[in-house]
Amino acid sequence: MVAVKLIPHLLSWAGIVFVLARGVAGRRSTVASAAIAGFTAGVVSVSVLFRFFQGDTPYVIIRDIVGGSLLLLWGVSVTAVYRSNVREFPLSWGGRLVDTPFRTIIEVLAAGILAGAISTCRFSDMAGSALPLILLVLAATAVVFAAMAAEKFLPQSFTMSHAGLMAIVVGLLIFSASSLIRLDLFSPLTMKVMKFAHDFVHQFFESMLIPDHLFIRDYLWGYIGFLFGKEVGFWGGVFIWFTPVILVAIAIGLERLPAVAHIRQGAERRKILAAAIRARRIRLVIPCVAAVILAAAAYRSCFPSVEYWDPKPVPVSADPSGEIFIPRKGEIDLEDGKLHKYLFKQGGKEARFFVLMTPGGKLTAVLDACAICKPDGYGQAEGTVICYYCRTLIPLETVGKPGGCNPVPISFTEKADGVHIDGLKLINDWGSTVQATSRIKGEGK
Amino acid sequence: MSSAIIETTGLTRSYGDICALKPLDLLVPEGEWLSVMGHSGSGKSTLLNLVGGLDRPSAGSLRIGGEDLLALSEDGLARFRREFVGIIFQQHHLIPYLTALENAMLAQYFHSIPDEAEARSALERVGLGHRLKNRPGELSGGEQQRVCIARAIINSPKLLLGDEPTGNLDHKSTVMVLELLKELRAEERFTIIMVTHNPEVAAWGDRTIYLDDGILVREERTRP
Repeated sequence: MVAVKLIPHLLSWAGIVFVLARGVAGRRSTVASAAIAGFTAGVVSVSVLFRFFQGDTPYVIIRDIVGGSLLLLWGVSVTAVYRSNVREFPLSWGGRLVDTPFRTIIEVLAAGILAGAISTCRFSDMAGSALPLILLVLAATAVVFAAMAAEKFLPQSFTMSHAGLMAIVVGLLIFSASSLIRLDLFSPLTMKVMKFAHDFVHQFFESMLIPDHLFIRDYLWGYIGFLFGKEVGFWGGVFIWFTPVILVAIAIGLERLPAVAHIRQGAERRKILAAAIRARRIRLVIPCVAAVILAAAAYRSCFPSVEYWDPKPVPVSADPSGEIFIPRKGEIDLEDGKLHKYLFKQGGKEARFFVLMTPGGKLTAVLDACAICKPDGYGQAEGTVICYYCRTLIPLETVGKPGGCNPVPISFTEKADGVHIDGLKLINDWGSTVQATSRIKGEGK
Repeated sequence: MSSAIIETTGLTRSYGDICALKPLDLLVPEGEWLSVMGHSGSGKSTLLNLVGGLDRPSAGSLRIGGEDLLALSEDGLARFRREFVGIIFQQHHLIPYLTALENAMLAQYFHSIPDEAEARSALERVGLGHRLKNRPGELSGGEQQRVCIARAIINSPKLLLGDEPTGNLDHKSTVMVLELLKELRAEERFTIIMVTHNPEVAAWGDRTIYLDDGILVREERTRP
């Protein structure tokens, strides 16, 4: 089963080696060696990370590095646009240094380390077992040789710019990461955009000293609430996601043609120009392919092939003192590591919450909603819970902590027999956080 | 003597049982104007098609500009035609709904990229600077043939092939076209192979070969 799940990672790795072999033509043995060494280093590094860090930390580190590569691509693509219209770009000493085999080795090593690290996350459940990792490295080595052999069949006219090469490598790394929901980047990105819009509106109103309801009528919040919707997060994410490859394509489109004014014969001049234009068109294939890969990664992020554990909320009631009691053992075993949803109704109001045993071995109770999104609730899969509204993954270790799209913590008491929750406080918590938020959005549940 | 641009040995072309061109050994020096004469069906156009890379021989060898045409793939042959050869036909074969300028630019398009200024200058060189925007139907036969010449030379070919280029022109237009070719050859130094029935036209060349039933039967030098 793990072997099947490795297919997207190995395919991405094959693609990375394929384009690197073409992008740094003439240094094939260097590329092959650096690729295998990098991949192996990535596998070893992540194995060590899993050994010394528990929970979400290794995933956070890898996800941040992959996210950093997208930022780097942003920088490279903007620079490419800047440089595209300059025929003779003056190279600094640093520039001269990087335009050497040294750069090749660093690039291939970095890509290999990341690809190896991402693939190793598939084996997080098999910590301590070296055999699967050895097999992974062997498979990756075979992929290197296969990809390099396949690259020879690519027409010689197929060249790529440095920015194009990076676009496709980063795209493939992100695609590989998107196969693991804990390394997914697109959903957290849309979440951050949504949160930024949300915080910006609040900060704007606060900095302008505009009280929430003095001048602004309720119905206006319906329009302002659009800024808090997941559509804003999605389209903002799409903008950040795809702009670098669009910039790379623009940079290629703006590349200056060779100087031909000194050539006497018109046909020869046109031939040189036509060849340059043709080469430029071929180079445009790369950012187009990168865009398709990023689209595939975003699609996997929006529609992951994971079945979420999402039990129907069990109705509960409070005793005469107003306390809700959820037994530790009974029909539902709170210690099974799964989230268990409950619905509490009182005085025409209701609140949905879930109880979960965190990997730390403690029970936690939280609202089935966060303070930002529409309260569509949470599901659980692969060591995380997911906000159904914005698709943000919350590691189980952080459930019970406030902030962001984490489910809103509620006050409860954990006793030997189970969890005790104050019903009135629960209703108030729901009303003061979730309901308030949904009213701002104009579409409360 | 300059080196040979065309070199054939035992060049043969058969269509089933019919042998249109029997084994032909021919050397054409670079820059020569060679006239090819013969009756209808004597193999003149077959020879022209083979030399122009429009057809492949059945046997023999054919080297043009040092390139073995038999060894070329279809793509290679297309590149050879595009970059090495210019052809002028008797029937002009101009695109009727394009202007003279656009017809010339079409040849540039298939060669590399169109360049209007260059096409304009090519038409000015053949004396059609005032007819740039006219369509073929609005031009005389001689003018149409001059557009063909502009189209044929615009990609600076090393070899200019003419298949009865003056066949349907009156005497005055014929002389005008031949004068133009003579001038252009002096400037561009390309090689001309021109098929004709007309001994007066053939006399404009440096050398004339006579084909009969696919065989080279006679050869005479018209200029020293």
